[in-house]
Amino acid sequence: MRNSVANEIKKVAKQDSSLFVIAGDAGLGVWDDFKESKQFINPGVNEQLDIGFGAGLSLMGHKVIYYNIAPFVIMRPYEFVRNDVCYQELPMILIGTGSGITYAPAGVTHYVVEDITLASTMPNLDIFSPADPVEAVECFKYAYKSKRPSYIRIAKNGEEVIHKDKIDVTKPIFIHKSDSKNILILHGSIVDEVSKILKIVDINIVSVPMLTADFDWAAFLEPFEAVFTLEEHFINGGFGTMLRDRVEKKIHKFGLKNEYIHKIGNRDYLREYYEIDGKSVGEKINKMSK
Amino acid sequence: MKKITTNIRKNILHIANLALSPHIGSALSCSDILATLYFDVLRLEEYENRDLFLLSKAHSAMALYATLYEKGLLSKEDMEGYYQNGGTLPAHTDRLTNPYIEISAGSLGHGLPIATGMAHALKLQNSGRNVYVLMGDGESQEGSVWEAAMLAPQLKLDNLTVFIDRNDLQGYGRASELLSYEPIDKKFEAFNWEVLRIDGHNHEAIKEAVETPTDKPKMIICDTTKGKGVSFMEDELIWHYYLVTDEVKAKALKELEESLDEK
Repeated sequence: MRNSVANEIKKVAKQDSSLFVIAGDAGLGVWDDFKESKQFINPGVNEQLDIGFGAGLSLMGHKVIYYNIAPFVIMRPYEFVRNDVCYQELPMILIGTGSGITYAPAGVTHYVVEDITLASTMPNLDIFSPADPVEAVECFKYAYKSKRPSYIRIAKNGEEVIHKDKIDVTKPIFIHKSDSKNILILHGSIVDEVSKILKIVDINIVSVPMLTADFDWAAFLEPFEAVFTLEEHFINGGFGTMLRDRVEKKIHKFGLKNEYIHKIGNRDYLREYYEIDGKSVGEKINKMSK
Repeated sequence: MKKITTNIRKNILHIANLALSPHIGSALSCSDILATLYFDVLRLEEYENRDLFLLSKAHSAMALYATLYEKGLLSKEDMEGYYQNGGTLPAHTDRLTNPYIEISAGSLGHGLPIATGMAHALKLQNSGRNVYVLMGDGESQEGSVWEAAMLAPQLKLDNLTVFIDRNDLQGYGRASELLSYEPIDKKFEAFNWEVLRIDGHNHEAIKEAVETPTDKPKMIICDTTKGKGVSFMEDELIWHYYLVTDEVKAKALKELEESLDEK
């Protein structure tokens, strides 16, 4: 996802001289062929400045993209994002890499398992968690055209392409259709657990790249009996919570337990530990559906 | 200019009294800097090509509102709607309230990073427009100020000028007693800024400092007196928060009128 988005940004930059990228000393290898451009800056390690500086460029008419590891995009400079970008209604695009526990076992300083909660407090900030490179590029394209600020949280690189057809990021996208009366809604890179889930349970599965899309969830979910959500984010305060706020239907949420992670291990290990891996989720859905 | 700054100070007292809002001392402290900028420095004739002034110490917003009114860029009705229920202008600035209020501000340490981005954008656009920022002296305790202070010289932003309203009185005391920023001039010099130190109530000195040529970003440290122009408010901490009652207003206006007569 990371390289797909970066390549799209570089492509757009050639056509739009107002586009400007701020990389907060992150993205080794990603920006090598762009770092000498006048449309790029790496001002070092200073997240408050990154956001304020970007807001200044945006106020002067530039389409500004701020790229960094996700904890340093929303959490570290939160008040600058709130005051300088969102309150001032600037259409900046904030891109965070290493969503969820992608960077396990780096430790909790490098995880973002509460960023959706924080981002949701800013009323005009659109939030995107693409699941694959196709979604990531389409999320960027949407944000690029948008007059609102955007936050795109992506995992890393090398994710499998799951969409072959053209997609609309403002709507749920079917990944698997089934005769089942139940549906599992995925938000973000956790989509790579789908094949393991389907080995255990047959269920409709959709990916939802844009959390803040103005979408009639009640109508969409009406035909389904049981509704499940799965995300690599704290279980309270993420996509599942947002959906619960929007519909009356019972939503069964799967996500990371709201606790600081001291357990050491890679992403797959931690997914298993917190039972959000495909096998655990499939088994739980099976049990709950009976 | 004396007449202009006196009018600005009178209107600051007027709206502070109408609103019963705090920060009168802060607003009076920077009135001369704002008056000089708006009447002698900023190019505002063509809106699209105007110079930009950012009030980073936005708790002094009354001074900006009174100056914009004096300059004819804000209506009396809008100025008097300051801090009122259902009013027009908040205690700290909101850029959506008037086209000449360049940024929404109030939280300290935001103005300089934004100004650095604006100045860099203008360089990218080969524009001759300039960016001016006014910070408080206590504001220099914010880390983000120093993040921007490192970047601006590296980007060779000679279109960026920063004023520090150095009245040595912040919210709850003198910086020297809380967290000293001195020697502020040497610190910015070490960061490769062009640094000037002047009397922040002297219009000629302010103008001269602005016009001093340099190829670096410029820091003008303005030695000022909080509450300037009203003797019983001058250099008194309480006027950071005390309210301008009718009685206080009458006494202060009398002083300002008399000072005008003296000239």
